[in-house]
Amino acid sequence: MRVSPRLEAEHLFKVFGRRPDDAVERLRRGADRAELRADGATAAVIDASFSVEAGEIFVVMGLSGSGKSTLLRMLNGLLEPTAGSVRFDGQDLTALGDRALRELRSRKISMVFQHFALFPHRSVRDNAAYGLEVQGVPRAERERRADEALALCGLAGWESSWPDELSGGMQQRVGLARALATDADLLLMDESFSALDPLIRRDMQDQLLELQKTLKKTIVFITHDLNEAMRLGDRVAVMRDGRIVQTGTAEDILLRPANDYVASFIQDVDRSRVLTAGALMDTSVTADAPLCGCETATRETPFTELCALSARLSHRVSVVDGAGRVVGVVPRQRLLGFLGDEATAPVACDNPEGKVISHA
Amino acid sequence: MPRIHLGDWVDSGVDWLVGHLSWLFDAVKAVMEGMYDGLDTLLAAPQPLLMAGILAVVAWWLRGLLAGVLAFAGFALVDSLDLWDRAMSTLALVLVATVIALVISLPLGVWAARSKAVSAAVRPVLDLLQTMPSMVLLIPAMLFFGLGTAAGVVATLIFALAPGVRMTELGIRQVDAELVEAAEAFGTTPRNILWRVQLPLALPTIMAGVNQVIMLGLSMVVIAGMVGTGGLGGAVNEAIGQLDIGYGFEAGVGIVVLAIYLDRVTGALGTQLSPLGRRAAAKARTRAWSYRPRPAVALAGVVVLALVAGGLGVFGPSAGTSEASGTDVGKGKEIRIGYIPWDEGIASTFLWKEILQERGFKVSTTQYAAGPLYTGLATGQLDFQTDSWLPTTHAEYWTKYGKQLDDLGKWYGPTSLELSVPSYVKDVDSLADLEEHASEFDGKIIGIEPSAGMMSLLKSTVLKEYGLEGTYDVVDGSTPAMLAELKRAYARHQPVLVTLWSPHWAYSDYDLKKLKDPKGAWGKGDGVHTLARKGFTADNPLVGRWLKDFSMTEEQLTGLEARIQKAGKGKEQDAVRGWLRDHPGLVDKWAPVARTGTHSEAAG
Repeated sequence: MRVSPRLEAEHLFKVFGRRPDDAVERLRRGADRAELRADGATAAVIDASFSVEAGEIFVVMGLSGSGKSTLLRMLNGLLEPTAGSVRFDGQDLTALGDRALRELRSRKISMVFQHFALFPHRSVRDNAAYGLEVQGVPRAERERRADEALALCGLAGWESSWPDELSGGMQQRVGLARALATDADLLLMDESFSALDPLIRRDMQDQLLELQKTLKKTIVFITHDLNEAMRLGDRVAVMRDGRIVQTGTAEDILLRPANDYVASFIQDVDRSRVLTAGALMDTSVTADAPLCGCETATRETPFTELCALSARLSHRVSVVDGAGRVVGVVPRQRLLGFLGDEATAPVACDNPEGKVISHA
Repeated sequence: MPRIHLGDWVDSGVDWLVGHLSWLFDAVKAVMEGMYDGLDTLLAAPQPLLMAGILAVVAWWLRGLLAGVLAFAGFALVDSLDLWDRAMSTLALVLVATVIALVISLPLGVWAARSKAVSAAVRPVLDLLQTMPSMVLLIPAMLFFGLGTAAGVVATLIFALAPGVRMTELGIRQVDAELVEAAEAFGTTPRNILWRVQLPLALPTIMAGVNQVIMLGLSMVVIAGMVGTGGLGGAVNEAIGQLDIGYGFEAGVGIVVLAIYLDRVTGALGTQLSPLGRRAAAKARTRAWSYRPRPAVALAGVVVLALVAGGLGVFGPSAGTSEASGTDVGKGKEIRIGYIPWDEGIASTFLWKEILQERGFKVSTTQYAAGPLYTGLATGQLDFQTDSWLPTTHAEYWTKYGKQLDDLGKWYGPTSLELSVPSYVKDVDSLADLEEHASEFDGKIIGIEPSAGMMSLLKSTVLKEYGLEGTYDVVDGSTPAMLAELKRAYARHQPVLVTLWSPHWAYSDYDLKKLKDPKGAWGKGDGVHTLARKGFTADNPLVGRWLKDFSMTEEQLTGLEARIQKAGKGKEQDAVRGWLRDHPGLVDKWAPVARTGTHSEAAG
């Protein structure tokens, strides 16, 4: 039985400026952004549809101005869509009143911000407890839960400090703890790691993935960094000029870019970090069990590990599933081909035996 | 361009408001005066040094030991200048105006921060209030609220409102939008966003606004003094009016002490109130001179001092020692006299103050410009004034307010108005000589207050009669400024042409020539009249009769004026007392009472 998705956006539009409804109508008929801008309307999000499963990290990737932040703010009702609907747990957010929407935000949806947005006049503990305070949780309990969330984010012992005494990475951990403390099911992360140093950013990504293994939140993560999107996202949506141009797994996007825009985007991506044996393997070769006792890979084995494995073996690497069946093989040729972005088969050599010809 | 009759509209608008909304103004007035009286009583109740101690402890708590010591020294100085009561009433006035200003401006600022439309609507109004010359607003305020505290509070308030609104709006708008969004994202209600995020973060800016409100309020105190608020503002005003530089400086120093104290204390209060400021202050605090007691200690200090004050029995002044004699016919009844700072006005006012006090009345005297004085009398804010020059000089006021006033007759006369020059100026003996000597005087006639009747007479009639309209300009100013100019020119032996009148002590101090008036343009001499509000004589038949029968000779008046002039500002009544001692029998002559023997009042 198919579980209905946790969060579902259908044909979302957001137009700022004059006569937004007319603008939506024209966009539906195929008008583009530039035409609208001439009339004083700015289309931030155009016909965006996607769904996010429970426990999934869904990344929305796009350059600045692509509408990704606007899209995110429609998911918790901070912005009201001009058209379309957002369903969360089967409830239509666009139909909710202000009060119900606030209630929903305080209990079920929390948010982590790009510049942390910690309250400078509150201690770390009071910051982490903010969402609970809004919910009306009694002081003792909310402090206990805030301390737990802080500990979860690696900030035990910093509860009584003040935000301005913390480094950027630690501040964002407080931001994360604040979002986790409310036990919200849906976590919206708006470029949350973009303001951090590359090394700290990596740490934070790792920590998020680590936390996600146990917490299983539903996360919508906004970023302009494709590497980050590939690392974090179970699925990635690429936005351009307000439209979602492709939605799929990291591998889908990397291996089958929907258009030139996405293709040009992924050029700089470090494939070795993203690709796994499952995406690389030649599935025309299968067997009920490996033919030899050599090491094997699984679908999830990352590219770099696969290379190392391949270097240790004298033959193709077998990829096995949970039951030990061979579901495909990865020839060394294929590894090199992906690394060099070369998909064609090797050409025949005019000296296949490889004899050394001496020119006497 | 068509003439837009804006002034007429404002006039009729004000008239309508006075006519139809007087109940509202009365209510507002009652609230303001109630607040002011309560606060003033509280501040003035303890002995000055005890109160200075209390204020110093507050400064110590908020800023540190050095600030506390300096605050005590400052207030002790004010007390030693004999300005304590005035300083406390000014403090009360400023605090009341500040509180009301904040009650209005904080919500307005919050509203303006949340709505662009409100912000756009409020801004020009604030500009208007802040830049409109304060005297222009003071007169309508007087019509609405009468003379005294309420008008002063309103004038101060209007002036001080703008920074409160502006800084509140600015403070809230400055709060990082991401923080507000974060609060929204966690489901905070708009009201809580205001209270938990925006206001705490805007607090430093808002407190800077509060500080500005207080400072502007203090700077307005002097102007408010013109409508009879008393206090240091009143003192400065009187000193200016009588060219008493020393006294003016003393009162000015009092205002400065108050200003610095309030500025530093509210500044520190801003730090204490905002969590961020408190944290910064906690980090910095180490040194002995910046040691600050904990709030509880400070509170205890204030309470102890207050209890000491209470224990000394200085709360509430003990009942005045009324003279137990048959001459006490006033029995503490209040009489309010207003006066213009002209010498014969000061002399006769303080003369009557002394006489009435001897007769058991409680007398208050307040100095005004002529316009407010007549308004105050006509609206019944004042009981009488002794310096009305009729029928000529004050004719305009009499026409406007005569119906609401009782003329108690002339007590001195005839007077004369004239233009005068020092006698060293040759060849100028008559108004007719002036035309050809215009260059000598730079074409300037040094005038007095433009509101003085003499000035309009000079401009409208005298200049025309002698064909001086093109050749001379009348310089509007004030009596003290005119006298200062005369003094300066006289000392340098320069020609100067001033407006003057007789009797005046200047004629005995300087060797001056009254310019002859062959055409009689100045009219016949006036009499100096006493005017009372309608109904005063019915309420006080005895005093009414005394005033009606009152008259002074030139010798008496100039003698008294010279005595007061010599004694200096603030000592008028001592001078009067001394003069009366030298002229025994005058009190009984001017204020006769039937002696009924040993009738004791104080025993009862």
